[in-house]
Amino acid sequence: MKFTPFWGCMISLKYPQMEKAVRYSFEKLGVELNDENRFSCCPDPIYFKAADKITWYTLAARNISIAEEHELDLITMCSGCTSTLCEVNYHLKHDQKLKNKVNQSLKKIGREYKGTINVRHVVTLLRDDVGMEKLKDSIIFPLHDLKVAIHYGCHLLKPSEIMQVDDPVIPSILADLIDATGATPVNHREYLLCCGKACQNNELALGMSADVFQSISDSKADCMGLICPTCFDSFDLGQILVSRKVNKNYQIPVIYYFQLLALAQGASFEDIGLKYHKILPAEFLEKLEQSIAVA
Amino acid sequence: MKTIDYSFRKKLNNVLGGSAHNYCYQCGACVGDCPAHNHLPEFNPRTIILKTLFGFEDELIGPDSIIWNCTNCYNCHERCPQEVSPIEVISALKNMAIEKKTNPSVVNNIVDRVKKSGLTVTMTELSAKRRAELKLPKFTIECQEELDKLFK
Repeated sequence: MKFTPFWGCMISLKYPQMEKAVRYSFEKLGVELNDENRFSCCPDPIYFKAADKITWYTLAARNISIAEEHELDLITMCSGCTSTLCEVNYHLKHDQKLKNKVNQSLKKIGREYKGTINVRHVVTLLRDDVGMEKLKDSIIFPLHDLKVAIHYGCHLLKPSEIMQVDDPVIPSILADLIDATGATPVNHREYLLCCGKACQNNELALGMSADVFQSISDSKADCMGLICPTCFDSFDLGQILVSRKVNKNYQIPVIYYFQLLALAQGASFEDIGLKYHKILPAEFLEKLEQSIAVA
Repeated sequence: MKTIDYSFRKKLNNVLGGSAHNYCYQCGACVGDCPAHNHLPEFNPRTIILKTLFGFEDELIGPDSIIWNCTNCYNCHERCPQEVSPIEVISALKNMAIEKKTNPSVVNNIVDRVKKSGLTVTMTELSAKRRAELKLPKFTIECQEELDKLFK
């Protein structure tokens, strides 16, 4: 099993603990990675796309054309990169006129987008290529009694006709993956709500995050489990701002899915860089230690 | 009295994703599930598309336009029975706002960063330190030559 990883600049440079956790898990699962350093930023599906859709298409198509050289699927770890690269790949495969226009630009650098590979979020690789059975077999320290509040984020599931990952209204993929680690997935009230990162009005973004925190707080989960570094940004660092704004003291640890998986596969807290997280209450670490110790 | 500005609509039709606004029949399916609307009632994808049908250029792509509060969550895209995809129309409107230079500065900052370094997130000493602590390979990127040619 071999893939080309698209780490994206946020994971590589801001939250490298996520990259570490993915690499750790993949080694345990026998997934080989074909690292590539010619990729640029995806570029981002909010601001760069807002500036000029054609340039956005062109840079994304350049990235995909590099991945095409390896004849391996391109695997994204960040929902922003997923959004850009999946959308661009889909539209260029379906719109010949747009493809010609983009290729006209790529000619300047001797490149061509062909449309020969798929772009997929890493969680689909776990479900569809590794498979749930093999995933469960890799667990040596099941996360007993750990209640994980799911947060899907927007761009894993939507636009659904492009992503084709799961039902966008009643998804189950993250619950199944969390379940595989031995932890208990919690579908709280706002598990599908957007993190609000793209909104210019700060009050609006903080208000949305506050709803998510209250929902998780009501669910009595031990932590939040997610798959997107931008959502992580909103909820880890953002939690301090939200708490200040709504005058509450939320203490909800925010964990990238692969950090949970790697722990269950034998990684230490240090291996997965938990110490870089802003919200990390001592009682959560104790609970994590206990849940692993039961094994 | 305001009248419909067809020239604005024609311009919008020529921006990728913009022409679908013509199919909107104002059912409002996009509104109920819009998280931005639920937190900021002035943000309403139905009325944004209505304004495009009227061609109200100043309100849509003038300074401090409400369009910059779209969450980009795609709920409206999922709900729309006419395949208008309000988010894509809003995104097309943003492309037009850039030409008028009425956009928030964050957009220019990000585009500049990508053009100059290939990255949105800046490489810092802290990121190198953390990667080293985690025993990750050193981060390298080789795309500048090609980007320079593309942006020339």
